[in-house]
Amino acid sequence: MMKVIDAVKELTSTYKPFAEVAKGLQVDANEVAAALAKAIPESEEFTVLRVLADLNPVVKATVQAPVEIKD
Amino acid sequence: MALPNKVLPGFSAALYCQPTATPTPLATAALATVGTVAPLAIPANQLPVEAIPAFGQDDAVASFAVAGSRQSDKIPTQAAPTSMTITAAWNPSDANLLLMRGDAYSGVIDRTFIISATDGTGIVYYSFNGRVGEFKVDSAPGAEAKCTFTVHPRGNQYGWCNNA
Repeated sequence: MMKVIDAVKELTSTYKPFAEVAKGLQVDANEVAAALAKAIPESEEFTVLRVLADLNPVVKATVQAPVEIKD
Repeated sequence: MALPNKVLPGFSAALYCQPTATPTPLATAALATVGTVAPLAIPANQLPVEAIPAFGQDDAVASFAVAGSRQSDKIPTQAAPTSMTITAAWNPSDANLLLMRGDAYSGVIDRTFIISATDGTGIVYYSFNGRVGEFKVDSAPGAEAKCTFTVHPRGNQYGWCNNA
């Protein structure tokens, strides 16, 4: 797993299509969401974090109700 | 990359180039960020072109394939990056035209170009990195001198953003 700060550094410096490069980076979704919340809109970081957030959505854990099995 | 969230019913366009003789072109993320593109799209960087040529495929009908985009790994004529041949009134004192001429002499200078399209309120910026070639001055007597040059976009180095 890559650190978000390193992913952002790589994505903001590449001359390749950054959305394609982002697909190859494994980052933690929660870390991305937290960084996106802090990022300044209209900044390069915001642009790449938005792409990373789309590719790595935060999945909320859902608790299933126990199923009662009756004979 | 998000599409512009503004569709312009009609627009006027302007072409800007990154300043200085040895520019560092914007990376692709910066090309798609209004915060980095808008500071370059200022009157001092504007190229005095006669008209903005077609800068993308179907740009007149709001399709956002812009200069520099490739549609496939094959490069048939239709999918090649769109080159822009530009005509401007030749003014040997214009700093930006001199930059274009210098780029054409070199042939290997990558520079960021920006096309802004505005309906008067919102602005959509189309940005790409390109090299200039084939700079010619047409000094035919009986008409004002014109210069013609072609901007060749670098493959896949493009982006768009808007301020609306």
